[in-house]
Amino acid sequence: MTMHGQNVELSGVSMTYPNGFTAVHPTDLTINAGEFFSILGPSGCGKTTILRMISGFLEPSTGSISIGSQSVNGLGPNKRPTALIFQTLALFPLMSVWENVAFGLEARGVNKQERRRRAEELLELVALTGQADKKPTELSGGQRQRVAVARALAVEPAVLLLDEPLSALDLKLRQHMRAELKDIQRKTGVTFIYITHDQGEALAMSDRVAVMNEGRIEQIASAEELYNAPQTPFAATFVGEQNVFGGRVKETNGTTVEVETDQGLLRGQNYNDLTVGEEALVLIRPERIDIAGAGGGAGDADTNRISGQLLRRDLEGALINLYLQSGDQEIHVNLHNKGERDFGRDEALTLAFSTADTAVMRPGPMARNSV
Amino acid sequence: MKALVRTYGLGLTGIFVALVAIWILLLIVVPQIRMIERAFTYEDRGGETAMLALQIDRAYVEKLQIEREIRTLDQAAENPASPSPASPGPSTPSLLTPSPSAPTTPSPSFSAPSPSTPSPSPTTPSPSAPTLSPFAPSPNAAGAEAALSPGERTARLAELRQRLSALETKITDLEAQEDTSSGVAGTKEHYSLKNFTTMSGLHLQIFVLTLVYAFIVTICAFVICYPVAYAAATMENKNKLTIVLVGLLIPYAINELLRIFSWVMILDRNGILNSLLDLLGFIDLSAGEGFRFVASNGAVFAVMVYAYILFMVFPIYNTIDTLDKNQIEAARDLGASSWRIHTRVVIPHAKPGIAVGSIMTFMLSAGSIAAPEIVGRGMHPDWFSQLIYRRFFEADSWNQGSAYSLALLVACIVFILATMKVFKVGIRDIAK
Repeated sequence: MTMHGQNVELSGVSMTYPNGFTAVHPTDLTINAGEFFSILGPSGCGKTTILRMISGFLEPSTGSISIGSQSVNGLGPNKRPTALIFQTLALFPLMSVWENVAFGLEARGVNKQERRRRAEELLELVALTGQADKKPTELSGGQRQRVAVARALAVEPAVLLLDEPLSALDLKLRQHMRAELKDIQRKTGVTFIYITHDQGEALAMSDRVAVMNEGRIEQIASAEELYNAPQTPFAATFVGEQNVFGGRVKETNGTTVEVETDQGLLRGQNYNDLTVGEEALVLIRPERIDIAGAGGGAGDADTNRISGQLLRRDLEGALINLYLQSGDQEIHVNLHNKGERDFGRDEALTLAFSTADTAVMRPGPMARNSV
Repeated sequence: MKALVRTYGLGLTGIFVALVAIWILLLIVVPQIRMIERAFTYEDRGGETAMLALQIDRAYVEKLQIEREIRTLDQAAENPASPSPASPGPSTPSLLTPSPSAPTTPSPSFSAPSPSTPSPSPTTPSPSAPTLSPFAPSPNAAGAEAALSPGERTARLAELRQRLSALETKITDLEAQEDTSSGVAGTKEHYSLKNFTTMSGLHLQIFVLTLVYAFIVTICAFVICYPVAYAAATMENKNKLTIVLVGLLIPYAINELLRIFSWVMILDRNGILNSLLDLLGFIDLSAGEGFRFVASNGAVFAVMVYAYILFMVFPIYNTIDTLDKNQIEAARDLGASSWRIHTRVVIPHAKPGIAVGSIMTFMLSAGSIAAPEIVGRGMHPDWFSQLIYRRFFEADSWNQGSAYSLALLVACIVFILATMKVFKVGIRDIAK
């Protein structure tokens, strides 16, 4: 079979429901052909609404959507070159596996022999050879997942839309399916738009990730960039964990900025063009913090130092989580277990972290899972 | 059983079991067996037994008449001075035609002073008046007993008592004859298939047509109810859904006969539908135009579909309600037309509901009597249910009525089994 992805372009697309709730504020978004693109956000952030607008189940309130440089506004879901994989999979329980896979072809009037042949071909692609005549209910969760993928691919879509399809699976299977989905995407070259609230899935599979919050896209970036250089407090705290300190800008110096906090003077990268006197947030990830030698002095230009009292130590095996109290702030440190030392309760420690890893941002909404 | 005893105690469990047993035995098993037995029992109406039975019936009727007259005379004897003016009326024998088989019938003198008297007498016969009406010339005429002298009364009473004892002897004789004739000397009631085989060609035609009609009603009900059930089940606005469901239920708070009569008002020649057409200018009612909607099969079908709509809508609604609506969206997303979505996804899922709805609608309409009777007005082809009714209550042939009922029952059971086979649903799916 020959499949090829197409690009998707949203310009000024917004969605306001009849009850006045704005699920998506005007959004511009370009998804490249053949890309694995994820939209990541908490539930209710509008990511599913965007997906349903692309698939045609919802008509945007404003703006236009085009797929492969062709406007699809006003076209129903059955007329768009997209295929949707539902969170519940929505397989047809009364049809056999191959009939499920071939349903889209049946709707297109392909004869039965050809349908069967294509279904077998697709089942081979998703590693389900020999299961064609079973009913979906006789398959395991992961196999059903693959049937859903095969059924969506059978109509040779230019864009495959996936609405949290892995959320019903257990952790091990989910990790396995991530790899499979990525593999299928690479083999077929179809544009995948993947909706999830699981940052692990988004980071593991995607070429690019869009972080959404309250109907707005906060940041679009590659997985690495998103994790290492988030642009907004929400993106920074939703993806991975952060220690956040509040303060006021004391001095700016090129790309770095100095912030006066309760934990002392901290330096970091000036992401939001902050100016002197502005309120600011200082963010540092737990795994970027090191334990400095006891009694270390004030930080130099490249290193921030904070001292605190150890509250709790959780040994996870390869990793050690330390929770410290510094002033009225709790700090989380994540270290590799190199077997170098033990940590006693109430021990006073000095933490050191590089100013290059420290982000300074203008205050804004943050994800709830931040420390 | 043990669990029941443990939960409710022996006494209460006993009552439960007894009630269930009584229910099954008295309300289902015994009547059914009796009906089946009657259906296969042929009663020869032209036989000796039947003739004897007729004679016995007549003798009993005559006996009753004489007894009543004796009672009236006795009453008059007790209070001869002031008979109540109302007493002669109701207490007079009102049977104008005495039994022809009674040999001792006196001259036809039972003309009661009732409003139905052929011509009113010039002098109203007062109970206390000594002069008699010309229409009651006989001394023992009704309404005139009070005027009889005590001597005449005694004579009359003696005559009546004599006739009564003669009648009683005759009844005993006849009953003895009947016992021998049905017992040994020639049984006229016997098991046979005659009740079925003597079904006339016309009745057979009505039987088959009724099944066809019921099938048409079922199809119409499905065609109308499926979209309603689908719309209700896929409705996202729960307030609207409540309104729709309540709107479906409210008409059923009204008596079934009233609902049928309301349809007569709609469909009648001067009814609402014709008036509406008149108003719209399609017909001119005052010029005598207007369609005769009632008394046609179409009207009967319409009323029946309306009457049984709930039995079709709710089972289908319930099954579609359990369908994962994402399946509908998935089918649409894969490019399926609405037709294909319904035939491949929704209807296969709703099969048990459709089967239940069809079975109920078919059985109810095949057995319905009110709708064809009221809407049909005897001017449209009969339904088999009407025929059964007439066998029972007009032809007074319960055995043949039972046979006809049994035939209908068997046809309905065959329909159920066929429906289950066609829809590939088992009893368990239907129970769901």
